[in-house]
Amino acid sequence: MARMKFICDTERCIECNGCVTACKNDNEVPWGVNRRRVVTVNDGIIGQEKSVSVACMHCSDAPCMAVCPVDCFYRTDEGVVLHDKDICIGCGYCSFACPFGAPQFLSKGAFGTRSKMDKCTFCSGGPEENGSVAEFEKYGRNRLAEGKLPLCAEMCSTKALIGGDSDIISGIFNNRVAMREKNGKYPGSKAFGWTTAYGGPDTPAPTPTPAAKIPGAK
Amino acid sequence: MKVNFKTLGLCFAAAALLAACSEPPEIAAKAAKRPDVAPYMGANNGFMTKNWTPGNQASWTESTDKRTQGQNEYSRVK
Repeated sequence: MARMKFICDTERCIECNGCVTACKNDNEVPWGVNRRRVVTVNDGIIGQEKSVSVACMHCSDAPCMAVCPVDCFYRTDEGVVLHDKDICIGCGYCSFACPFGAPQFLSKGAFGTRSKMDKCTFCSGGPEENGSVAEFEKYGRNRLAEGKLPLCAEMCSTKALIGGDSDIISGIFNNRVAMREKNGKYPGSKAFGWTTAYGGPDTPAPTPTPAAKIPGAK
Repeated sequence: MKVNFKTLGLCFAAAALLAACSEPPEIAAKAAKRPDVAPYMGANNGFMTKNWTPGNQASWTESTDKRTQGQNEYSRVK
């Protein structure tokens, strides 16, 4: 069974914001809500500037799901974390729980009133009928049901952002790292992959770094 | 049989007054999650890709896996 994930390659992201624009346009996301954002660190420092495209990571153990007081979240068989806007009360707990700032709220009035939560759906809509107008108006496009992948990833010009089955996209990324190493860029870097990151059943537990070697730690 | 209108009126008044003592429950029905339809069932909106059969999970998986590999330019240039 597929487990849908995104990977953003910081070596390739050029901060064009094409993914952000594509998401907003295709899903007709209202003004003030960004389901996807590009975050840049070390902005303007030559050689150190890195950008990463961030949205809902569709966590395997999603904290938004854990804290929701009305239990409006659900996970599909494809591993996509979705929510039912008919149940959401717009309390904002999920926003505080999410480490990626994925849950977004439309500010609706002058007194801080806000809408129900809105977030990346991995272009797979919500509990309404697949591809229906009702689904589009509440959740945006359901590209997975059309046999497609999220538009942000599919249209990424540098292919920094890739999305799809985690095993396949981690394989693509693994291949890139291996090619970089072969071409002399980042020699000695280890090939990264989904199973490498999370470890297989035979992976020994990581050795913790001694506190003395961590800068600033006592 | 003689009907005692006064007693009857009192009965109606008592019934009406007692009815006011009752209270309908004010607990909202628990919002229930609706089951979502799997993406391999397809979408009837005319935007579907043609290389898979709606309702066939294996064909959907194969099609999306192939599409996912389309993001790998190393496989495209070879």
